[in-house]
Order: sequence, then structure tokens, then C-alpha cells
Amino acid sequence: MFNTRALLDQEALKPKKTSETLGRLAAYFKPFWYALLLAGTFVIIATWAQVTTPELTGQIVDCYLTPAAAASFGGGAGGQSPIVGAAGEAAQSNCWLASDAEPANTTQRIIKGAFTLANFQAPADPANLTNAERITGLGQLIAILIVLFVIGSFLTGLTFFSMSWAGQHVLRDVRAQLFSHMHSLPIGYYAENEVGDLMSRITNDSDTIQQAMSFALVNVVSGVLLLVWIAYNMLTKNVQFALLSMAIAPLMAIATIWFSEQARKAFRKTRVEMGSVNANLQESISAVRESQAFNRAEENIEHFRATNAANRDANVRAVAFTSALAPVLEALSYLALAIVTVAGGLALLNGSTLGGAVVSIGLVITFLGYVQRFNQPIQQIAVLWGNIQSAVAGAERIFGLLDVVPSIQDKPNAKVMGAIEGKVELDNVSAEYKPGEPVLRNVNFYANPGQTVAIVGPTGAGKTTIINLIPRFYDVTGGSVKIDGTDVRDVTQESLRQQIGIVLQDTFLFSTTVMENIRFGRPQATDEEVIAAAKLAHADGFIERLPEKYNTVLGERGSGLSQGQRQLLAIARAALADPRILILDEATSSVDTRTERLIQSALEKLLAGRTSFVIAHRLSTIRNADVILVLKAGEIIERGKHAELLEKQGFYYDLYMSQFKKQEEMAG
Amino acid sequence: MQATQTREGKRAKPAAARPKLPKGVFPRAVRYLFRYKWEAALPYLFLLIATLAQLAVPRLIRNMIEAVTQGVVATQVLEGLQNIPSAFMAQALPRILEFLNYTPGTTQEQLVTQLTVDKVSAPEALIRAGIFIVVFAVLRGLFAFLQSYWAERNSQSVSFDMRNELYAKIQRLSFSYHDQNQTGQLMIRATDDVEKVRLFLGQGLVQLVGAVVLLSATLLILFTTNVQLALVTLWILPVALALFFIFGSISQPLFMKLQVRLAALNTILQENLAGIKVVKAFTREKSEQRKFGESVNTLMDEQIRIARIFTFLFPLVFLVANLGQATTLNAGGQQIIAGTLSLGEWQEFSLYLIYLFIPLAQFGFIISQFGQAMASAGRIFEILDAKSDVTDKPGALALPQVKGEVHFEDVTFRYFGGGEPVLDGVSFTALPGQTVALLGATGSGKTTIINLIPRFYDPSEGRVTVDGHDLRDVTLESLRAQIGIVLQETTLFSGNIRDNIAFGKPEATQAEVEAAAKAAAAHEFIMSFPQGYETSVGERGTTLSGGQKQRIAIARALLLNPRILILDDSTSSVDLQTESHIQAALDQLMQGRTSFVIAQRISTVINADQILVMDKGKIVASGKHAQLLEDNEIYAEIYNSQLVGDSDAPKDAA
Repeated sequence: MFNTRALLDQEALKPKKTSETLGRLAAYFKPFWYALLLAGTFVIIATWAQVTTPELTGQIVDCYLTPAAAASFGGGAGGQSPIVGAAGEAAQSNCWLASDAEPANTTQRIIKGAFTLANFQAPADPANLTNAERITGLGQLIAILIVLFVIGSFLTGLTFFSMSWAGQHVLRDVRAQLFSHMHSLPIGYYAENEVGDLMSRITNDSDTIQQAMSFALVNVVSGVLLLVWIAYNMLTKNVQFALLSMAIAPLMAIATIWFSEQARKAFRKTRVEMGSVNANLQESISAVRESQAFNRAEENIEHFRATNAANRDANVRAVAFTSALAPVLEALSYLALAIVTVAGGLALLNGSTLGGAVVSIGLVITFLGYVQRFNQPIQQIAVLWGNIQSAVAGAERIFGLLDVVPSIQDKPNAKVMGAIEGKVELDNVSAEYKPGEPVLRNVNFYANPGQTVAIVGPTGAGKTTIINLIPRFYDVTGGSVKIDGTDVRDVTQESLRQQIGIVLQDTFLFSTTVMENIRFGRPQATDEEVIAAAKLAHADGFIERLPEKYNTVLGERGSGLSQGQRQLLAIARAALADPRILILDEATSSVDTRTERLIQSALEKLLAGRTSFVIAHRLSTIRNADVILVLKAGEIIERGKHAELLEKQGFYYDLYMSQFKKQEEMAG
Repeated sequence: MQATQTREGKRAKPAAARPKLPKGVFPRAVRYLFRYKWEAALPYLFLLIATLAQLAVPRLIRNMIEAVTQGVVATQVLEGLQNIPSAFMAQALPRILEFLNYTPGTTQEQLVTQLTVDKVSAPEALIRAGIFIVVFAVLRGLFAFLQSYWAERNSQSVSFDMRNELYAKIQRLSFSYHDQNQTGQLMIRATDDVEKVRLFLGQGLVQLVGAVVLLSATLLILFTTNVQLALVTLWILPVALALFFIFGSISQPLFMKLQVRLAALNTILQENLAGIKVVKAFTREKSEQRKFGESVNTLMDEQIRIARIFTFLFPLVFLVANLGQATTLNAGGQQIIAGTLSLGEWQEFSLYLIYLFIPLAQFGFIISQFGQAMASAGRIFEILDAKSDVTDKPGALALPQVKGEVHFEDVTFRYFGGGEPVLDGVSFTALPGQTVALLGATGSGKTTIINLIPRFYDPSEGRVTVDGHDLRDVTLESLRAQIGIVLQETTLFSGNIRDNIAFGKPEATQAEVEAAAKAAAAHEFIMSFPQGYETSVGERGTTLSGGQKQRIAIARALLLNPRILILDDSTSSVDLQTESHIQAALDQLMQGRTSFVIAQRISTVINADQILVMDKGKIVASGKHAQLLEDNEIYAEIYNSQLVGDSDAPKDAA
């Protein structure tokens, strides 16, 4: 029992494998494989369109622009151009669009195909075109370029949509699974884990995953694809030139990794500092009344200033790294641009060869285009990689929660508990929250159907533990809890709890109407039944005075109602559920006299005819109880009726007298 | 707070969805930057240098391309000249000169000399331009870094100042303000809202200025280098702006709807977590899961609807940018063919065109950031501008050491300045050392009376005096220093037990603290902790029981040794034994001080020097126990139902 803490420790100790987490995450995307397949296809085509753009720009230069320059002064009247230098020749040989050139790869084949399809005229002899023909050719190539732009843009958009679609579905599934899992965890888990933390796992962490998976992942994948494709294209065109163009890339990668790592470390510190700022704010705002009562404003302001300054300083340090990455990458990308231009230019000046391969102006322009496209994804990946890392961290937290095995589960062959009479028996029950620290020791008692059992004892004696065992919120570590002779562990939790009504000390209300709040006890109840229950609980009176009566919407935690009114609603809720067994933790907070009397009368009606367990704070309850159990340090040390126990002059007598001794003195 | 959001979301009419920003928010937010004078100007100075360095790069690339073209042409022409038979030279020379843009009449020798210079100097020019690019890139990088670093640094300073101001203000705002505002909401203003303003001042504002500078400088360059080309390509500017505008107005309502759905989801989640025991007790897991499932589904549909819009927005924006490039290619290409544009100029132009597009893409983002930041700034200033109802009046005097006579003179009090009075013409006097017990139903005005004594609120009419001083004439600090308060719910602050006891008197010695703890019957349990007074309590520390907390609170009040004491004597959720300890401590505390007690216990009432029976804001009876029991019906009723109802039990037993 109560071993969630141990499980959490295991969770913390277990080494996390990123690949394992990613694999598990991928499984959620499996049902939406077709969206991923579509996205993948779109990405490939869109990347192809992007890679092809510089190539077409190069063709424009080499087929139509460079020869124009060469021919404009060289061509005599119909005569052969007297001046066709190496660059001109290089340009012509580079014009694969020319009708007599063989396409060297698929891309060239596709473009040439498109040319034929559109009924465009490929240049027969690029060197000898009239200006009019060149302008037409230029226009035709640009038309194809625009088609590529359109394809690229819209496929990128569709990729984004497919991934968002799949990502949103996964997000929904993860959230629904987390929510259901949350319900399967025993109460003990909630005692040990902060609600805020669980909230953020279900909302923020799952959202981080969604964003990383639909945005970052697809951009990283397309970025890598683009990088590889461009590198391949450059290498096939001119190995030396390609290597020169990419020389800066490793530097960029190193800079990215180093700065990201530094920033990550620095930001870890800022998160700690921000946590302190939050804690300080939370504490001092919620206790602002005490601060004013004790004249503490100045000290508090000084203290906050220090916390706040630590946060600022940590952030300024972190910012030094984040501010540096983008400028460094930008500077490096300009460096790459300079290298391509200088190397290409020198090659053109030195007889249009680089490392033995022909270089044309068009090729240099193509490479310029490539280098620009090459740098962009590196910068992008740097940013997105951070997103993916935080998504993996988020996923680990989510899986950590999902992996908590509920310590209380229905047995595989658990039966449904049928209608019961309401006999409850604790047979030699022991319980502990932490191993070796028993909270209950060998507790034995039984309650016959319809009896009221009052439980009294000092704080920490085990009163709450007893009432938590009956609806199986916790499991015993020894002995058994039986209802009508059946061990509660042998039946389904649902069927068990349907027999039991619970009124807790602190009434939890939902932010919905009064009607729905009472109906929470039995969803299928009609409005009339709800109102009848409210009347039984004496809640009808104040409800009728609310602005919209039963349809009044209650605020967070039922704000707007007094403590006493909230207790009456809780009683109405339990009355509507009409359980055979009732568990009641009497509220002790002060309510006014009139409400107090209403509550007492409502409780009496509620208890009548049901087997009831009451952690008693009211003398009237104690005196009306069929049996009083006196608990001390996890053991029942006395039991019996009020009068019998007083006569014994034991622990109960002391407990009782300590409260009323003074009163007696007064009376005496 | 989330719950409120949902309900508001349901009720909100679309027309009222976007409240107008109050005027002057932006200048006021920017004024926070101005406090840092020259430091605030630094990022903008660096921005200017970085932008200028950036603008030089396309020009340098053009220089390189031109050096190369010139060199290549020179080489080719020189080769060509050798191949032309001298007979044709006279005919060919003018043509060559025309192509090369040389003055007609240049001789062949002059031409060859010039071309040789061109050819030889080309590699050098190319390398020089390359080095310049690197130099400018480094400059650009350095100043871009400095700009971003200083902008962030300044923004951190601004958020530091804003948070401090907010905190100080919140600490000083009177109770009536805190009655109307929830902790969570104030928290969000000091965290999220400050962060949004910071982001805009640290990034958005600099980016905005940078974008405007880059945009106008680029436009200027484009028009001065090639008006014709600029005119044909610049249609993308208005088109892109129109696109942003259209999509902005389409997506804005969708985003708001999304927020409403998200808030609804959070409410279900939060309630199920906080109310898990109720959910389990009433076996409502399945129906709650269904409810959550529906909520998650609607949220997903909303998200997908938004994704659909962006599926068209992004491609269209990029397409427009690319079409700009295509137009440049086409028009520029035609100019090259016509011989009026060089390859270098053409490349330069298309690089500048990219610069035109970068700020354009930023604008949409910055504008939405601006909207959020200003809304947040408005919420921050709302708190900073809130008027505290209770403040020291100018020239307020320090209250001297008092004897403890408290006097209420025809006091009427209304919450939030309107509605039914909570106190209606209340007058009474408590003499030094007296114990005054307050009795009455919830809402009868007991709490209001005790809240008026430390001046947590001011009376709407009438006055409260201590030793004859009107509370409004003395400083809050000197007044509250003489009043000890023990509330029903005790808040412990993170820190150790010692600090918590010395809360009102941080300079107290250990001996004083221990003496107070002993008098409050707290010393024993404190010493039972392994670390004694150093035991840390509060959120992350040891959990104390309700009774233990209450004794710490009593020790806290005892340490102050106040002349006037206010306490709520209900001891909720403690067992009977603890209760008797607390009772003894309280009796000790009240000894010899003017005490006001919201009474729950018979003993308190019986011992009181004066009992005030409250009903609907009025004192309906006052006097001593025996006398009241005899001649006051309301008192008798309260006594019998609330207090006596339990007290006849011992008689049974006896």
C-alpha cells in the first residue's frame, strides 16, 4: 500500500534514454501514419523545388545572359563571333537547357520535359540568339521558376497542415490518456504530488510535444533534407568548389552546439531563480494581510528586491549567450558568401577552371544561391533543436506520470458488488503510509447495518485512515476490510464506491450551477429529485435566495458561498446519492448558530437508517452514536457508548473533560 | 480564476471582446527604459551600425562580380584583339569601344593598356572586396550581438523595476483591494504580464526600429540604384501588407475562441485534480472522462481550424516574396540583355530585395507582440495606479505608547463604499486591560469591528480612537506596532520556526522568542523537532498541525507585547487535548491587555468584561454574562444554541 513515493523514486533514478522516449512518442503517431506519409512526400517535393531554384537562375545566366554579353560586341554582320572566350564557352557548355544537350540528371530531365510540355523553345545555340529570342527565353524560364515557387510554397503549407493535424490528434490522445490515468491513481498519489505539477504535465508538457513534433520536427527534417540535397548537388557539379562553399558549415555547427549548450546551462539557473520569484510572490500576496498587520511591508519589499535582482542577473548572464548565437551564425554565413564569390571569381579570371572543372558565371551564381539556402537551415536547426530537446524532456515527464502503476487496482476477476445491507467489518487491520511506520495497528471492529460509529482521538491517531480504508482509497497492509462479509479488494472499486456516500470536511464544489453540483451525487437524478435532496439538507432556503436560484453558477471552489452553506450542499449531494454506507468527516470550522443548527438537523436525517462512520467533532454526534471508537496512536484503546466511556474514566474521559472542565468550574 | 474566465467566455458578446487600450500606456511603458538614459540608447546606436554594415554587403558582392566580369571581358577582348587581322581593325575598333563604353577615338594602344590594367588588377579587386565583406560581416556580427545583448539587458532592468514596484504596491494596498482581487490574478500580473512587456521592450521595439530602418534604407538604395527595376518589383510591398492584414483579422477571433476553449479545458482539469476525492467517492470517473474528451476534441478542432488558415497564409507570403525575386530576374534580365544593367548590379538588386522582405515578415509578428505587451502593460499600470483606501495622511504623527483605551464613536461601515451598511452606528468604549467578547451570527459585523481597530479599513462614517487619537491621524506603522493579532487561520512563511515567531519583530533575541513560545505552550512541541527552532516550515518545510500553527501565531503576538490584542478564539480542526493547551495560552496572552475576541467559547464569554452582541451591523446588547443572560433574548438564544447546547453534557455525566 501507499507505495507511490517509492515508485516516484524509481522514476527519478531510472536513466532516461532519449531514443527510447522518442520511440514511445512515435508510437502515438502510428494511427496517423497517412498524414505523416503525405507530409513526407510534400516535404521531398517542396525541397526539390527549393534546390532547383538556384539551378534555374544559373541557367538564366548561362543560356541567355552571358552569351548576350559576349555576342553583343562579337557578332559581325552574320559573321562568326570573333571573340568567344573561355567564359562564353564555359557558359555554353553549362547551358544544359540547350536543345542539343543531354540531360545529366532527373531534375534536368523534368525541367526539359516541362519546357516541351509548355511548348517552349529550348535554345538551339545559346551563343547566337537575337535579343528578342533571349527575352522570350528568359520569360519562359522565369515562368517555370514561378511554377516551382508555387509548388514549393503550397506543399510547404500542406506539410505544415498535415503535421499540425497529426500533432493535434496526438495531443488529444495524450491528454485524454493522461486524464484517465490520473483517475486511476489512488488518493495517496495526490497527497504526495502537487496539483500544479500534474496540471502542467497535462497542459504544458503535452503542448510542447505537439509543437515540437508538428513544427520543429518537420522543419528539422526538411532542413536536413535540404542540406544533404544541396551538398549532393554542389558535389556533383564541382567537387572543389563545393568543398570550399561548405567549408564554413562545420564552424557553424560547432558554434551552434557550443552556444546552445552554454545558453541551456545559463537558463537552467534562470528557471531556479524565477521559481524563487514565483514562490516569494505567491507567499507574500496570499499572506498580505498578516504582513500589514505585523508591519512587515518594508522587510518584505527588501527581501523581494533581492530575489528579483538574482533573477535579473541570472537572465542577463543567459542572454549573453543567446544574443551571440544569431550574430555569429550570420557573420559566418557572410564569410561563406565571400568565399564562394572570391573562389568563383578567381576561377573565372584564371581561365574558367577550378580544380580542373569548368566554371561559368552561371555556376557561380548557382552556388551563391546554394550557399544562401545552405546557411538558413543550419540556423533554423539550431533553434529548433532546442525545441525538440524540451519536447523530449516534456515527454519524459509525461511518460513518468503514465508509468506510475496505480497501487490500487481492480483484481482481474473482481466481482461487481450487488445491493448490500451495510455491515462493515475491519478484521485485524494494519496500515502504513511509509514502510515501518504503522498508522493503524490491529484494528478490529464491526458496524451492523444502520449503526452510527463515531471515531474520536487526537490528531494523527488514525481516524482519517480508517475512513479512507472503507471506500478503498487506500489498501490495508494487514488484515482486511469487509462489507457484508466480502473483502473490498475482491470487488470492483466502482461498484464498491457506489454503495458509499462521503461528506468531507472541506466541501469541493465545481464551477457549474448549484443544480449540477448537487446532481454530482447521482447524474441521472431529475431536477425534482435534486430539489428534494436540497430540501432534506436544509439547503433549499439559501439556494432560493441566490440570484438565479438553482441555476446560479458557483465560482472557483464554490466561492460566494459560506462554509456552512457549502457543507449543506455536500450533505444534499450525499443525500441524493442515497448510499447504504455513509462516511462523514465533520467540519469544525465555525459557522453561525443558525446554520450550525441546520447542519445538525440535516446530518441527523442523512445518518438515519445508514451505516455511518463519523469523525466526530460535535458532541451531539458523539452522544447519539451507537458506538464510539477512541483511537490513540493507531490503536483502538476504548470503545462503547458515551455514558459507558465516561464512567470508565479513561482516555475518553480525559479528552472529554479537557474541553469542558472550565465550563464545569464556571457552572460550579 | 480559470473558472471565472470560462464563465465570462460564455457570456462575452463578440462586440465587447476587444477592449480599447487606455491612452498613454505605450509612452509610459517606454519611460521605464528612459530611466536607464544612455544605456537605453545603446542598443539603438548599435542597431544603426549593424544595419549599415549589413547594407554594405550587397554592394560589395556587386563590386566583386563586376571585378570578375571586367577582368573576364578584358582578358577576352585582349585575346580577341590579337585574333583580328589588322585590316579589319579600323572597322572593328569603334564597335569594341562602344561595347566597352569607352570614349570613341581611343586608340588601340590606349585600349590595350587600359584592358591590361583591368585584367591584372581584377584578382586584387576581387580579393579586396572579399576581405571587405568579411570585415563588414564581423562588424555586423559584433554590433548585432551588442545590440541584442543591451536590449535584453535593459529589458531585464525594466522588468526588475516593474516587479519591484508591483510588489511594493501590492504589499501596501489596503484590505479592501485584496478583498476584490485574487492572489492568482495579482501573481499573473507580476509574472506573465511583466514578461510580455519585457519581451516587447527588449526585442519587439528594437526589431521594430531595426525593421523600419532597414526597410527605408533599402528602399532608398533600390530607388537610387535603379528606379526602373525598383518600380517593377515593389508591388510586393503593399500586397504583403494587405495579406498580413487580412489574415490577421481572420485569425484574431479564432485565437480568442481558442483561449476560451483552453480555459474550459483547464477548468475541468483543475477541478478534477483538486476534487479527485469527490470524483472517486461518487464514482464519476467515466462521465468526467467523457466531459474532458469532448473538451479536448473541441479544442483540437479549433486548433486545426487555425492551422488551416496558416496553411494558406505562410505559402502566400513566401510566394509573394519569391514573386518579387522572379520579377527582378525577369526585368533585370531584360535590362542585361538590352545592355543597360550589369550582372553585378543585378545580383546586388536581388540581395537588397531580400532585405526588403525581412522587415516585412517581422512586422506581422511585432504587431501581435505589441498588442499583447500593451494589454499587459495596461494591466500592470492598473495595479500601480490603484488607490489604496487606507494610507498615512500627510503630516500623520507616530502614535505614542498607548494605555489601550479603544473607542468607537457612531461608526458606520460599508464595503466598497456602497450598499447596506455592515456596521450601523456602532459606539462603545473598551477601557485599558478590558476583554471585549464579540458575539453574533456570520455577517453580523464582528469581523468588521476587529478590522477597524488596526485600521485595515476606514469607517465610512464616525471614528475610531485609541487613547483619544483618531486612527486616521496617526501613522499606520506606529498604530499596528501596538496591536497583536491572532487570526483563525495561521499562515506560516517559508523559513524556520524562529523567523515565524519573530515575524513582527525580526530583531528579537533567541531568549525573547523562546519566552514567547513557552508562554504560548509551543516550546515543548518545537523542541520535539530534531532541529528545534531551526526547523523549517512553510511550503517546503515540515507540516505543522492546525493546533501547532495556532500556538505559533499566539507566540508571534506575545513577542510583540502589544497593548491591544485582537483574536479569533475558534480553534478549528484540533483535537480536544490540543484545544485545552491553546485555551491556556490564550488566557495567558489576554492578561492585562485590551483584548477583542470573536468568541466561540463559553469560558471567554463568561470571563469577558464586556460582551457585545451583534446583529445585522448593530450592537443589540452589551454587558456582562450574568446580566445579559437574564434580560436579553438574543444573547440567551445564542448562548443556548451555540454554547450551552454542548455544555449540559457534563451535567449528565456527573
